[in-house]
Amino acid sequence: MQRREFFKKLGAVAAVTAVMPSMSFAEEAKPKGPNEFSYQKALDVITGGKPAKTSSKVQLKVPEIAENGAVVPVTVEVDSPMTESDYVKTIHIFATKNSNSRCVSVHLTPANGKAMFATRIKLGGTQDVATIVEMSDGTFLTAAQSVKVTIGGCG
Amino acid sequence: MEISRRDFMHIAAIFGLGAATSSMASSKTPAQISLKDIYDFKSKGKVTLLHMCDLHAHIKPLYWREPSTLISAPNLVGTPGFLCGEAFAKHYGLEPSSLDAYFDTHMDFDTLAKKFGKMGGVAHMKTYLDHVRAERGNDNVLFLDSGDTWQGTGVALKSGGEAIVKAQNYLGVDVMVGHWEFTYGKERVKELIEMLDAKFISQNVVGDDPFSEEYEELIFEPYTIEEKGGAKIGIIGQSFPFTSTANPKEFTQGWSFGLRLETLQEYVNELRDEHKVDCVVVLSHDGFSVDQEVARQVHGIDFILSGHTHDPSPKPITINGTVIVIAGSHGKYIGRLDVDIKNGKVKDYEYKLVPIASNMIPADPAGVKLVDELYAPYAKEFNEVLGKTKNTLYKRDTFFSTFDQLINDAIMDEMKCDISFTPGYRWGTTVLAGDDILMDNVYEMCGITYPNVYTFELKGSKIATLLEDIADNVFNSNPLYQQGGDMSRLGGVTYDIAVANQAGKRISKLMIGGKPIDLEKTYIVSSWGGNLQNAGTNLQKEKIRAVYDVTRDYIKRQKVVDVSNKGNVTLVDYDCGCPVKGSRSC
Repeated sequence: MQRREFFKKLGAVAAVTAVMPSMSFAEEAKPKGPNEFSYQKALDVITGGKPAKTSSKVQLKVPEIAENGAVVPVTVEVDSPMTESDYVKTIHIFATKNSNSRCVSVHLTPANGKAMFATRIKLGGTQDVATIVEMSDGTFLTAAQSVKVTIGGCG
Repeated sequence: MEISRRDFMHIAAIFGLGAATSSMASSKTPAQISLKDIYDFKSKGKVTLLHMCDLHAHIKPLYWREPSTLISAPNLVGTPGFLCGEAFAKHYGLEPSSLDAYFDTHMDFDTLAKKFGKMGGVAHMKTYLDHVRAERGNDNVLFLDSGDTWQGTGVALKSGGEAIVKAQNYLGVDVMVGHWEFTYGKERVKELIEMLDAKFISQNVVGDDPFSEEYEELIFEPYTIEEKGGAKIGIIGQSFPFTSTANPKEFTQGWSFGLRLETLQEYVNELRDEHKVDCVVVLSHDGFSVDQEVARQVHGIDFILSGHTHDPSPKPITINGTVIVIAGSHGKYIGRLDVDIKNGKVKDYEYKLVPIASNMIPADPAGVKLVDELYAPYAKEFNEVLGKTKNTLYKRDTFFSTFDQLINDAIMDEMKCDISFTPGYRWGTTVLAGDDILMDNVYEMCGITYPNVYTFELKGSKIATLLEDIADNVFNSNPLYQQGGDMSRLGGVTYDIAVANQAGKRISKLMIGGKPIDLEKTYIVSSWGGNLQNAGTNLQKEKIRAVYDVTRDYIKRQKVVDVSNKGNVTLVDYDCGCPVKGSRSC
């Protein structure tokens, strides 16, 4: 990746963070309280019970084994023309087993030109990282991959 | 492009192996195996790639016993990468008691060690390398090193890796990648690369410190293009993807590793489409099983020269048109790969894993001199006889090995802890029954740049979780989630394990000091070579000491050590240590 391209991305992340102050991180020790939000519950709220289809159009890039569970890089890229009639409306990213599973929701318009978002999330332990993508026609696509958070020590 | 059965039998016949219909026929003694047999090769094409991996700084010949237990998930066990002992001999058609059986398996090791002698050593490797260079022409030969070269012996540790770089320059290594290399720390790695004649390449090491100039930039050249035998060969480097989790993070702070298969694919395409190379090679430290996954997911690689998991693989394996080879460890072998390239494509190849039998391949005098010079400053310390061993001391095996048990015994004796953790590395040494244990042998087992034994407190529940976590790193059914080591070795603990169970549910009957584990109780734990101390509390700072010093003192106190090969782990779901494919027995 070029430095320039990267800083553009960094800018995008900062912007999203600014408008989405609710971007939340789970603790290792599960807090009991209003912050708890299961993946299933989040899924229901977002899709309203509609099916989310696993699709090769959604590329979720996460490491198989996290180098540091506190900052796990995640990139979601969706193959979409991003035109008025066919674009990606929202990219949601989840840490499915964090006590609050919602990491970030990014709202896009055709003006974004490309449906791509990169950030870093905190994982409380080994789990699936998932993305739900809402398309302009109201359908939902999804992708998930397991990320191992380990103390390591072999070699 | 598999070696045909006929070719293989031809190779096997030369060694007096395999086909043997008369299995009673006694195999050849060293005197009967000529150098010609070892060198024999049906050459192909114009280009030869010579390969070594995981030398672990063994510039002198050594004894190295292969594992007698190599267990994995049921889908993997008995496949290349998870073969040992009789299952290995059966898979590759080795004849018992032959030179290859001695090099490739644990079977009858002590007897065969006396018959065939030590393995490897740079002076002996050099003689073979020069033989091939003379046969093929220097301009047609590349020597590639899959890493784990700079670390593993006292001479490496004390010289900060420099002695080994000198040995590589002497051998004529052309290209290398790394893993344990990084445990000298970033600055030292850069210094050593300056001294190294070979190119150090890696497509999967990228800066991740946002305040550094290296942020999101490659730390090393991702690939190199070498012209040999009239062909352009693109070689992409793949260092160990899990360096930052397997070894302390501080050594590589600011560098991010990982498999990075997307960029690997991009570089393969770039080499083919833009640079029009005739052959794409990945020089890898991923591990043999992970590289089989890499071949499934990345397209257009001709050869993967693998490393990390220390497997000797006499036969290459082919997945999706990608040929994967791996050349054992500790300098025991050189892999010779002849490639026939025509019209910009690989047409054919021939491969042989050549055993560096030090009693048969003569030493190059310049190498002997070099090794002596490199050892001279430390000879007095390294040659000190600490004691004797009653039984053979070895490293390897999935759960337990005698030299690790000796280290755990030493730690428990000095630290007065309830539990001792010794890492499941796959490098080390073998000391034959009745032999002296030298200080050099102790460094061969635990010569690392972070040698401290830490003693701290861990709650029972945390210990149980940690063991499950470590077990999942070793036994995950998906190779991409494994880290390529063996189970941590535990002192003061016994347990049952069902490898095929799901993550978190493998270990049962966990006993500490002969009593069932109390999940609420706090235990005193000693550990070295890992990150475990970061999970503990009440670190006993006054007890911190280097593991090689702890082990040395213990052996000196014992004078004669007597470690049995009984083991402390009961394997529930396999009947033996080396199961055959698709089976839970041998």
